[in-house]
Order: sequence, then C-alpha cells, then structure tokens
Amino acid sequence: MKDLLRAALDAATDAGATYADVRGAEIETESLSVRGPQVEGLDRSTSTGFGVRVLVDGAWGFASSARLDPAEGVRMAQLAAQVARASATAISKPVELVPEPVHVDSWSSPVSKDPFAVPVEDKVALFTSATAEMSKVKDIRVARATLDLLRQQTWFLSSEGSDIDQTFVQTGAGIEAMAVSGDEVQIRSYPGSFRGHYAGAGYELVEEMDLTGHAQQTAEEAAALLRAKTCPATETTLVLDGHQMMLQVHESVGHPTELDRVLGMEAAFAGTSFVDIPDLGNLTYGSELVNIVSDATVPGGLGSYGYDDEGVEGQRVDLIRDGILVGFQSSRETAAATGAERSNGTMRAEGWENFPLIRMTNVNLLPGEGSLEDLLADVDDGIYMATNKSWSIDDKRKNFQFGCEIAWQIKKGRLTKMLKDPRYTGITPVFWASCDGVAGPEEWRVRGTPNCGKGQPGQTMRVGHGTSPARFRGVSTGVSQ
Amino acid sequence: MRAVERGLSFNPSVVRQAAAPIIDLPDADGVEVVLTASETALTRYALSEIIQNTVRSDVRAYVRVVTGDRYAIAATNQLDAASMKATAARALGAARASRPDPDFPGLPSPEKVGRADGVFRWDEETATATPEQRAAAVRTILGTAASSNAAGVFETSSHCFGVVNSRGIDCWDRFTRCVTTCLVDEDGGTGWGEASSHAISAVDVEGAARRAADKARSARNPVSAKAGDYEVVLEPSASAMLMEYLAYMGFGGKQVLDGESFLSSRAGEVVATPDISIADDVYDPLSVGIGFDLEGVPKRAVTVIDKGHAVAPVTDLRTASKLNLAPSGHFSGSVEFGPYASNVVLRSGTRSREELIAGVKEGLLVTRFHYVNLLDRPATLLTGMTRDGTFRIRDGEVAEPVNNFRFSQSVLDALSATVGVGSDSRAFAPDFGSFGSNVAPSLRIDGFHFASTTTH
Repeated sequence: MKDLLRAALDAATDAGATYADVRGAEIETESLSVRGPQVEGLDRSTSTGFGVRVLVDGAWGFASSARLDPAEGVRMAQLAAQVARASATAISKPVELVPEPVHVDSWSSPVSKDPFAVPVEDKVALFTSATAEMSKVKDIRVARATLDLLRQQTWFLSSEGSDIDQTFVQTGAGIEAMAVSGDEVQIRSYPGSFRGHYAGAGYELVEEMDLTGHAQQTAEEAAALLRAKTCPATETTLVLDGHQMMLQVHESVGHPTELDRVLGMEAAFAGTSFVDIPDLGNLTYGSELVNIVSDATVPGGLGSYGYDDEGVEGQRVDLIRDGILVGFQSSRETAAATGAERSNGTMRAEGWENFPLIRMTNVNLLPGEGSLEDLLADVDDGIYMATNKSWSIDDKRKNFQFGCEIAWQIKKGRLTKMLKDPRYTGITPVFWASCDGVAGPEEWRVRGTPNCGKGQPGQTMRVGHGTSPARFRGVSTGVSQ
Repeated sequence: MRAVERGLSFNPSVVRQAAAPIIDLPDADGVEVVLTASETALTRYALSEIIQNTVRSDVRAYVRVVTGDRYAIAATNQLDAASMKATAARALGAARASRPDPDFPGLPSPEKVGRADGVFRWDEETATATPEQRAAAVRTILGTAASSNAAGVFETSSHCFGVVNSRGIDCWDRFTRCVTTCLVDEDGGTGWGEASSHAISAVDVEGAARRAADKARSARNPVSAKAGDYEVVLEPSASAMLMEYLAYMGFGGKQVLDGESFLSSRAGEVVATPDISIADDVYDPLSVGIGFDLEGVPKRAVTVIDKGHAVAPVTDLRTASKLNLAPSGHFSGSVEFGPYASNVVLRSGTRSREELIAGVKEGLLVTRFHYVNLLDRPATLLTGMTRDGTFRIRDGEVAEPVNNFRFSQSVLDALSATVGVGSDSRAFAPDFGSFGSNVAPSLRIDGFHFASTTTH
C-alpha cells in the first residue's frame, strides 16, 4: 500500500498540485445479529482502497479507487488534478490552509482482547443466551442481540512530509426487546438503543456489559410500557439519562459548532447553524454549568485518534466554557475564518473512498457533581427520560424534538409511575440555559454513536460523547400531537 | 492536460468471472455472489463557488455460503481469485459456527422464481460525464441563480448489479443517475429547486436554479404564524419524503409479520382517499433501479395501497412463504431488515399545482421537509421541519412567507385527508444513499398538524 500511495503522491505533484495528501485504508468488519434462538445475520467484510486529495489552481479535487496497483495510484492522482482544475473555474478565491507541523508517527486504539479472535461460536452462545432470557417475558415479540466489530488500518502521506499510520479497533453490542399488543409497539434496549453501546475497545467491552444479566429487566420494561400511561403534554422539570444526553449534545451542540456548517458550506443538505462567527466569546449558549469540549484524546471514544484525516494532531479544545460559546470544530481550510492559526483537527472521512469533512470527535459535556439520585432529589414534580428513541432538529439546529424509550414521573425527589412515548421539545440556547444540574464523574461515561450522517456523497461517521445525566427546568414534554 | 480515462467496466462476464473460482466451493451446499459496482462523481458548491469535487469508485462482492440450513455472508472489494476464495472461506467458516435456521428458504433457482430481466435505465452520456461538464453545469446554475449565496450539487453516477448462484441464477442490470440541487439564500429567505433523471440531458439545471432563486426572493422577511392544523399543498419534494418514510415504516413483509406495519392490522381496510394509489414500481418511467432483488428474484410492481385500500406488502422469498404471498423480488440483502420497497411511486392525479393551490382558501404551501424521523410505526406518525420556502395560501393564491414549522403527523391520516393529487410527478433520489428512487406529485391535504414553529 505504501508504494502505491507514494506513487500517487508523486503523480499528484507532477500534475501540478500545490498540496496533496493520499490516504489508504484496510477495513475489516464483523456483524452478528441474533433474533430469539436464531442467527439472523452473520456478515464479515473487508474493504481496501485509497483516495487522493489535491489542491490545483487553488481548488480541491479528489478521486478514489479500490484497485491496488501503483499505476492506478497515478491514474487517480491525475484524475484528482483534472477534477481540481474543473473546480477552479468556479471559485471566488483560492483555498488556503493554515500551517500544521509535519508528523511522522503511528497510533493505535487501546485493546485488551482482540474481538476478531473470539470464536464465533462463543459470540453466538453469549448473544443467544441474552435473547433467550428476553424471550421468556410475556408480550415480547422480538428479542434481538447485536454485535458490531471494526478494525481499520490507515496510512496517510502528505506532500508536506507527514507520514502517519493508525489502527482503530472498535466494538459495539447491545440487546433489544420489542413488545407488541394490538397496534402498539414498545421497544426497550440495553445498554443503549440502535445496536447498543460502542467504544474504541476490544471484546472486553462486551464482557463488561453483562448482556444476559440485564436481559430480563430490559424485556420486562418493554412489556410494562404497553400498559403504562402516555407521557403528559406539560411544562415541567426534565431529567435526562446519560444516553439521551449523548443525543442532546450531538444534535444541539456538536453539529451547530462545526465550522463548515457555520460558514454555510453544508447549507443545501445538512443545513447551517444558528451560531455565527461573531458569537465566538459572546453568545450565551447555556447556563454556567454547561462546559463542553471537543476531545479526540480521551481514551476509548469512537472519535479518539492520534491524527485527523488531513494529518492534524488530535486535540482537546473548549467549545462552551461556563455557558459561553468559545470554540468551533475546524479544519485547515476553515480555521482562519475565526482568526485561529491552527486547525483543531476534526477532519474525518468514512473509509478510504471519501473526501474528509469536519466531523465530531468526542464532543463531551464535562461532568458536574453528585449522582443521578442527587439530581432527582431536587425535583418536586418532573419527568425522568431514558434512552434515545427518535430525533429531529431544524436546519439551523435550533428547534428540536427528541423522544426516549421510557420515562418515569418524579414526585418529591423519587421516581414513581412509568410513562410511555416520552418526547420533549425546545429551542437550543433556551434549553441549555435551563440546565441547573449535571451529574458528576461517577455517572460520566463516553458513549458512541456509529451512524452520524453528513456530506454529499453521504458519509456515515462514528463519533463519541462523554455525558452524565443532567436536569433542565421548564421543558415542554409530550408533544407528539 | 489529457483527460483521464474513466467509466465503469462491468458486464455479465465480470460477475461470472469473479464468481467462477468459488461457485462450486467444496464442502458448501450452495454459493451466491452478489456483485455491485458504482462510480459517483459529485461536484458540490456553496456560497456560490465549488467547494468539494469528488470521483469515487468501488466494487463489492457479497458471498453467501450455505451449509445445510446454516449460512453466512462475507464481502470483499477485491475480485481476484485469491481474494474471492479467501472471502468464501470466511463465509463458510462463519456459516459452520452459526445456528440452523429452520426458516431459511434456500437459494433461489430460475426454475422456482423465473429469470430476471434488467431494467437498464442506462445513459452512456451520464456514465461518461466529465469533471468539466459538471463544473459547467454548476456555472450555469450559479449564473441562473444570480445570487451570492447558492449551494447544492451536480452529480452523475453509474451503478451495476449482478447476481449468480450455484443453482443457476444469473442476472445483471445497471443504471445511471444525474441529480442537481440548488438552495438559494437571499437575506435569510431560502428557496429550493432540484431535478433528477437517469439521463443527464433530461436534468434541467436552469429550471432548478430559477425555482430556487424565485422562491428565495419571495421568501424574504417571513412572518411568524401560529402552530396548529392547516390545509396544505405539499410540493412533490415534500410528498416524496412522506412516501419514502411511509415505505420505510410499513411496506416490508417482515414489518408486517412483526406487527410493526400498518398492514399488520389494516390490510383490506380503507387507509386513504380513493385518489391515493401507491406502488413499489421500478418499471415506472420515472423510476431508477434494477429489475431483481439482491438474491436474483425478479422484481414485480406491487400496489401497496390501491385507490385508498391497504393491499399487501413487498416480500422476499422468506417473508412471502410466511405470508402466503408470491415473492415480489424485494430482498434488501439483510434478513434482519427484510424486504424493502426502494422504488415508491405515488400515482399522479389530474390537477396542476396551480389548481391545487387555487382550491385553498386559507392554508400553507410547503416546498420541502427537513430531518424527518419516526415517532410511531404502526400509526405512521412522523415529525420533521419545513424548510426553503413555506408560504401562506390565501384565497387560492400564494401569499406571504412564514417561519418554518415542526410537523407531527400520521402519513395515513394525511392521505385520508387528501382532497387533490397533482399531475406534476417528479423523481427524487433517496434522502441518503444511492439505491432506488421516489416518485410523487403535489398533494392538497385538508388538515396537516404543525406542532411548533421556529424563528426563521
């Protein structure tokens, strides 16, 4: 692969590139889906290829291929240069990149137990034991357990001299029970929805989850939701669990602070942002308890790495400090718009075939203090919602409506009746300003979402979020109709 | 500089050649190879200049190996004999470690399911479009929009699919697609235009840009309007989005079996007005897709809602057997997900968009929806936002722009309240991904629920 990449890099320079980088990747995945006693899906995939990104005449060009020979590397470099020259016919000013030191380095995810080395038979046995437990519960129509493994090795070379190898190992697993009665369907999952919990870790993550041990409660909650009352439409105090806080941070802080969105580069597809450059250092985004960082250096996140996909070192930067907007996620092309002299290293591409975009790393709400019980104790009348189920937010990331799998009424500091179909709505800065409690480090955990969509052609990115439960006052709930 | 040679090199012999080293795999009771290849070239512009410009190509071979009533899939993007053999060995190893599946219908054979013909929505000019042609199209868009803040894409792509298996299935198909989108922002008023076809020559970039620019200029200085129930006219982009999600929520046979689909309990019932007929129909002249599913079963057009009556879902071999239906050729490639309707067509009516608007005394015109998501599958309840052109309709005419709304609405309730179906059907690429298409006209609906508003 390195020979191919060097041939492509040389060809890009020969074709007139003032800057070029080439990125190759070998990707291995394994996916297991168990439904009841049966294996519903068992897929193992590999994908290998490379992409060439060039600046010619001040404009970007990119081409990628899965054919692995140096001649194809040269062909892709020439094609990328041709594409860039076409781009240059419709630009207002040449692209300029802020400087980045040359890096010659390697980086790997910390892994205790290689998940690909665990025999499939053992995985099937573990996951079918969890589905068997869930299937014992009345009203459970579907009991499912899933496992997703990724190993990705990447090689990055740039015309500035950077030479970076990285290896990522990521694991995700979870269980889900679907209860059905008449026309009603209720779902409960553990330890998170949409195929569970993901991290930059090995099979030890799965073993720590104790999926079988949590199966009965998961299924019983799904069945109980069929008989629960619907979450009321009211304005109340809302406490969210760490999983829903992951989604809340992702949609209403992570995306609005991506600098390409702020600058209008994503306007036609994903949308823009209610935040603007002059808001930096001035906008009150939330209460003083709201402190949020973009952190590629935290161990074990889906957005943890040594270097981003344009060779910038992974960093930890403040986005919101004491409730004030103080940072954006940036790239070498966009950083100068804020007066920054360096990118904060958030350019990422799905696989080998895509052009990198500004993507979240691990966008984390820093812990406050106390436990979930402490948060609840200060609520006379409210609602506690857990585990994300649905999400929707407008094209400026302001008006949102999110739904959870389950909720409970809070009365005099304690959880009481279960509620189904819980949803809440808000306006981003108003909502974050109503935050008057964030639980402490003992409740804080880096969670992962493997399916963040952005860009054209569409790219799916794996990103992380460190969160703990948090409390918000005066929130509108039960807004389905 | 000389142009670089491009274009997909793919035909039936490529599929057969890739499969040849493994189709008679020792120790396996059956082998299936699904080969996909694509080349996507996309020029992206924002702030009225080209910001990204990419050409990407890939090929994937999905190898399903069967041993007894166990099976597993392995995939690779390297088609040489050694890679294909290694992939088949991985699949066989996984299959042996898997559990017996008593519901596995086995690999299909032509004797059982028939031989599939391709649709071949292929346009050579689209397949071989150059970076210079795409950049020229963007310059035309920017010139027509005459705005300092236009954004969108001009994309040309080609896609090939082939299936061969050890029981004699041997089919292939291919399609091209050209998509352009244009968003214009004029002082905070935004407008949208788009066009899509399998042929580049049929994509009217100037028309899309003109619609976006006209709407943006009309959408400046929107006023706030109260949330609530409104009579609406949905333009084709908005209608198509509802159709895409309706199909995702409930058109698949597996969702019916699991009780998640409205068809689970309402098959045979009236679920919409008699003007509403919805099919999965890859053979519709506006559709873009292939003539078989991802195990080589010929694809049939399936009417899911016929003149307002809920009829039947799309199926694959597995779900058709359980539902006592004939397989319709809609296997998605995933047993977990089940069959999928990827070419939804809401049949057009007879009224023009202007006639639909003229019938509304007090209501809203919706250009498109944004970030739609599911709230309740059996109830077909969705939420999402309006964007890029939401206007009052007053006394049958489009009036002032209004701030965007969040809707919370059952699709079937909306189709039950439909009082007019447009004749202006258009095709749209899926919201995310490249497989299939959605075709829909404008709709006039007497009662659409908006739960809240936003400030732009």
